[in-house]
Amino acid sequence: MSKLVEVKNVIKKYKDAPRAAINNLSLTIDKGDVFGLLGPNGAGKTTLISMLCGLFPATEGEIYINGLTHKTHSNQCKQAIGVVPQEIALYPKLTAWENLLFLGHMYGLKTTPLKESIKYNLAILGLESNTHQKISTYSGGMKRRVNLIAGLLHNPQLLILDEPTVGVDVQSKQAIIDYLKKLNTEKGMTILYTSHHLDEAEEFCNRIAIIDDGKLVTQGKTKDLIIENNSQSIEEVYLKITGLKFRDK
Amino acid sequence: MKLLYSLYKEFKVITRDKAGLAITFIMPTVLILIITLIQDTTFRSVNEASVPLLIVDNDHDSLSNVLEKSLINSKFFIITKKQLSVDEAKSEVAKGHYFIGIVIPEHTSDLLRQRSSDRVNKLMSSFSGDTLSSERLDTSTIRLKLFFDPITKKSFKTTISNSIERIISQIEMQSMVNSLNETMKESFPDAKPSKLETAPIVGLTEEYASYNNSTIIPNSVQHNVPAWTLFAMFFICIPLAGNIIKEREDGSAFRLLTMPGSYMIVILGKMLMYVFVSLIQFALMLSVGLFILPMMGLPQLNIGDNLPVLFLVAFSAGLAATGFGLLVGTIATSHDQASLFGAVFVIILAAIGGVWVPTFVMPEVMKQISVISPLNWGLEAFYGIFLRNFGFKEVFPEVAKLLTFFIVSLGGAYWYQKYRQLH
Repeated sequence: MSKLVEVKNVIKKYKDAPRAAINNLSLTIDKGDVFGLLGPNGAGKTTLISMLCGLFPATEGEIYINGLTHKTHSNQCKQAIGVVPQEIALYPKLTAWENLLFLGHMYGLKTTPLKESIKYNLAILGLESNTHQKISTYSGGMKRRVNLIAGLLHNPQLLILDEPTVGVDVQSKQAIIDYLKKLNTEKGMTILYTSHHLDEAEEFCNRIAIIDDGKLVTQGKTKDLIIENNSQSIEEVYLKITGLKFRDK
Repeated sequence: MKLLYSLYKEFKVITRDKAGLAITFIMPTVLILIITLIQDTTFRSVNEASVPLLIVDNDHDSLSNVLEKSLINSKFFIITKKQLSVDEAKSEVAKGHYFIGIVIPEHTSDLLRQRSSDRVNKLMSSFSGDTLSSERLDTSTIRLKLFFDPITKKSFKTTISNSIERIISQIEMQSMVNSLNETMKESFPDAKPSKLETAPIVGLTEEYASYNNSTIIPNSVQHNVPAWTLFAMFFICIPLAGNIIKEREDGSAFRLLTMPGSYMIVILGKMLMYVFVSLIQFALMLSVGLFILPMMGLPQLNIGDNLPVLFLVAFSAGLAATGFGLLVGTIATSHDQASLFGAVFVIILAAIGGVWVPTFVMPEVMKQISVISPLNWGLEAFYGIFLRNFGFKEVFPEVAKLLTFFIVSLGGAYWYQKYRQLH
């Protein structure tokens, strides 16, 4: 398989921070992967995702998206990525339709295909009857589904999901996971997924990387990790590797 | 295209925020109405007619009649005549019922005529070597009592005293001329002299040194409408900063920053929409000055003749206010911080800039400090257009300052945003 994302010896040190947030981390995500990025709070997941999205540069090392870097090909790299943040990054006073139309236009999409894409995605995720309702009137699960659609509108090669199912009911969670699987199998969309729901990650991801304290501690195919670590589940692997110590700073 | 959609999004967000709209449009309207009404009397006392004046006339003769007529003709006073004692008159003024009280003692006119006649007779007898010329005259002054309200400013008090003294001098002069006339008649009984003209020979021509012969006098409306409009325009920094912080907190900014193209398009859309809102504020406040305030018995706002220059100043002020809002929104880490800092800073800038108390009544030190406030730059430009009929050339320095403030604020916001991303 060809590489979509390559992180090479990346170090990120914030000003005045006592230690590096990312410490000489290297990993690869192949096209078509559903890649789980797991780790305790403060492990460096959000910092890594922010650098993948081109929000800020690495202090050292390089990140390649399709062989290109943000330094030289920012727009191409960004166009290849869709982001679904952990927060509901939508305007509560606008309807779902208005939110998605605005965000789609910000991706530079043309109005007609954009409207088709919005209609299609809303219908798939069971929101067509709520299209013109303000986001502020939506339930948590409905908001999460619109949040997901907002990252998909431009049909990205890599979809980055930061805790996409946090705080939602079982039905919404299942709808989100089923749709993501469909996107992966039918469209070949690569997915980078972070979550603290380890059972969900085990079921959903074909490859997993665990990072702790800014370092990559293990990575591999999900099933191989369980076997190699003599465990019954990814949760067991995770606890064996990261331990039970709190990560309070 | 992105810019248009960004503008459209901001328009929807702003128009659906009922509380924000109320603060943006209703607050300044109410402020203008209340403050203009409150300050109207103060401005009138500084500027023009309607100074309440009490006359206690114990003379009931020519002097008191001429004095009263002259005071009425000056159109400077609202005159009330009462029969009171000196102490009672003083008490009325002390209570604030009148700005000024004048007590004319009994027989003032008689004494004036008598002394005028004595002076003329003494003068005439000196020509004929009569013994009368060596007799001493009564040169004591007949004193009218003048009481002033203690809150009256010294300069205003001096102006009023001088006006009354001038009227009395004219009465004295007329009395002397009358006495001279009588004496001359006795000396030349067959003569038919013409009347001595007593109209002033040297006079003053007064005029405001304004452009294009504009003679608009600053009043509470001319001050308060532009002042509070600017205040409201700068107050827009709070909802704008809040909008930016909310986008940052809810992850929208993160999402927008991950999109291809510049995030500056989104910021530009935000900024232009808020400038547009500030221009609507401006138009609304001008309408209040033009149509609502006159209905409440206040003077109508005169906006001058130069509407394009007026728009330029309003646009520059809108840009300056929006730039400041962007800077606050970028630096502040929470909505509370932005609201508090934004509000306090705008209030201080307004106080320094002469929004609450006009700079022309400020002490010299404050006048010098006031020039650092962007609200003062805007206010001076509006004064220029409204009161002095200024054109582009005359308001250019103030417009340039407002635009520089905008550019510096925008540059500061951009630099801080980059700094935060890199660190």
